[in-house]
Amino acid sequence: MDSGYVALVLNAHLPFVRQPDYPRFLEERWLFESLSETYLPLLRVFSRLEADKVPWKLSLAISPTLTAMLGDSLLRSRYTAWLHEQLQLAEKEMDRCAGDRTFEPLAAMYQNLYRQNLEDFTILYEENILGAIDFYYKKGRLDLMTSSATNAFLPIYRAYPEAIAAQVEAAVVSFRSAFGRSPSGFWMPQLGWYPGVEETLSAYGLQYTVVSTRGALLGDPTPRFGSYAPVSCPNGFTAFVRDVAATDAVWSETTGYPADPAYRDFYRDIGFDLPLESIAPYIEQNQIRTFTGFKYWAITGSGDEKLPYAPEMASRKLAAHVEAFLADRSAQAAAAMPYMNGRPPLMVAPYDAELFGHWWFEGPQWLDTLFRQAQRSEGLRFVTLAEYRRGYGDNFESVPEYSSWGDGGYGGVWIEKSNDWVYRHVFKMVERMVELAERFPDESGLRERVLNQAAREVLLAQASDWPFLLRAGKSGSFARKQIEDAVTNFNRIYEMLCANTVGTEWLTRLEKRNNLFPDINYRVFRRKR
Amino acid sequence: MNVERLNGLSIDALYALADKMGLDLPAGLERVFLVEALMEAFEEDREERKASGDAAVHMEEKKFSGSELDEIDASIDAAPCIEKRYNETVVHVIVRDPEWAFVFWDVRDEELDALKASDGYCCLFLRVIKEPGYDGKGSSSFDVVVGDDDDHWYLHLPDDDRAYRVDLYARSGSRSRLLAHAAVTRTPRALIADCLADLTPGAAELAALSGLASLEIVPAPEHHPSRILGGFDE
Repeated sequence: MDSGYVALVLNAHLPFVRQPDYPRFLEERWLFESLSETYLPLLRVFSRLEADKVPWKLSLAISPTLTAMLGDSLLRSRYTAWLHEQLQLAEKEMDRCAGDRTFEPLAAMYQNLYRQNLEDFTILYEENILGAIDFYYKKGRLDLMTSSATNAFLPIYRAYPEAIAAQVEAAVVSFRSAFGRSPSGFWMPQLGWYPGVEETLSAYGLQYTVVSTRGALLGDPTPRFGSYAPVSCPNGFTAFVRDVAATDAVWSETTGYPADPAYRDFYRDIGFDLPLESIAPYIEQNQIRTFTGFKYWAITGSGDEKLPYAPEMASRKLAAHVEAFLADRSAQAAAAMPYMNGRPPLMVAPYDAELFGHWWFEGPQWLDTLFRQAQRSEGLRFVTLAEYRRGYGDNFESVPEYSSWGDGGYGGVWIEKSNDWVYRHVFKMVERMVELAERFPDESGLRERVLNQAAREVLLAQASDWPFLLRAGKSGSFARKQIEDAVTNFNRIYEMLCANTVGTEWLTRLEKRNNLFPDINYRVFRRKR
Repeated sequence: MNVERLNGLSIDALYALADKMGLDLPAGLERVFLVEALMEAFEEDREERKASGDAAVHMEEKKFSGSELDEIDASIDAAPCIEKRYNETVVHVIVRDPEWAFVFWDVRDEELDALKASDGYCCLFLRVIKEPGYDGKGSSSFDVVVGDDDDHWYLHLPDDDRAYRVDLYARSGSRSRLLAHAAVTRTPRALIADCLADLTPGAAELAALSGLASLEIVPAPEHHPSRILGGFDE
């Protein structure tokens, strides 16, 4: 008899950044770093677990923008070129650290990492990461979920059902195109849920999502099983509930496992430590210091004095953290069990996938060890959300409240003084797009292309990443430019259509640059009556 | 942000960063003092954010590493200028949380000019109507006067779990003229929907085990009036 279930949910997402007009572009590194430190290392974990016949399972949400970038030939070739540069830097680091008993093995560790990445990416997967993910999806190890088209924080657009439908439809179509079947699970970006969104999700065949603990506990009526079982909306849509304790154990910057002094420090990087002349070719424009990925120090403490990173010490800590995670979940399940009417408690632990490896260097290894240890753990079983839903279809009926996993638990991160100017423009774009779809409901040829591009620009402007970055004060100018570009492109299209003229050269260039969602149908923006 | 990163910046860039952080530093400071002041500000900012709640978004920031500085962002083309407004008479409301809503509006130039030229024009104001019915009237309402040059406000909404509508009006003498109204919106609940005492013991226990206290969610008081007298609990 299972005494409790754990569902790990990873959300893999990056905003759409693709700049073919530039030979290299700083923000494209977000994808390259995530591929090198998260996606490829995770695939290696999956492969090892498979080879050792470990019964691992997890739910993986992969956003449509990330799907588009992983499938894009330009970005794939740029990633290969970037890997070669990293290997060149690794070579230099091996020379620099030669003979140093502390640092030479660390330089070798990075050299091996990038060599392995290059081999896996180009030879093993033939640049097709989506195919590798699909392999585990078809094997039933991964429960793949989609997300909104451009990571839009949906509660903001609730007054525009056309915008919500467009975000969902573009996501579902993109998923079908990448994986050959329709998705059942939907990741609400930022866990941004509002009552009523389940109607649109169900209309597209989606069946389940994850909501914040706050959203569930404030649901109407109050859930019978707290966060230990999903709730069903009246239309049958299932909302799984984030488990606070399981999530905080890994997420918390101060008390979470990744904050342990033995783990590798994220910030200390040779991009900031070494003389400019020795790292110039590997940083931005040969002069602006950026992360290189070569980090030799352990977290150690909050000060600037750091101890060298010792992988064997980190491995010992990692084993202890796996034990702690399993013990804590077992204890949680035991505490909840008496009130569950015989139903084993479920603990849903959703994380950003990029946490594993990119931020928490040891994260992929932690997952590997976790699944191996779990098979020896009595009573606790790892499940996917889809699997649990099949087993327990009869849930307490409740509708979660408007909520998110952001600071404060609602929309405060995406609606505040640094980013609120965005919505005047995006709302106007949505209204104009609805107007265009109504005026031109049955276009074909060039005008249809124009309208489809307009729809893409609306979706791009809705990305919650840009307001998020504006608030965080990171890449603020870049984030602002992404929004302003989308607004400008859209307004130009709108004016062209109003004037009944189309600049085909400009349109073709724009289609080539913002080439995501090739199957988009602008008619999704027709007024919902 | 760390000392190494700050030491890699020019003095001008450090001052620009200080300005962005809201620090008012005297000119001509040596690098060491500039870096020290910035590190303190970053630490304070970090502590504030940590205290403010959920860790999820803090972690999310990490995947956008490598481009923390606007100095780097300046490496791309200058952003295109976009029009700041669309010269239309409109008002929109976005509910942010149980207490606050972001309201933005605009009045067509010709309309505003005509209003200002009219006899007795006094001001623009937002009318916040609670629980609006089909007739447009609600259980209560209040007005917030805004400046002619304002175009957005954060409005405090008095109650959670209530429907509100915000209308944009112009006041001339003793008369008020409706210019635009936003769609009805609803504030989310801040309290648990059901009184814990009304739940089965198991449900109350599981709510507690789910982290009710750490989320700072306040259970509804026994016989929470808003659940009984919807709309008349003031």
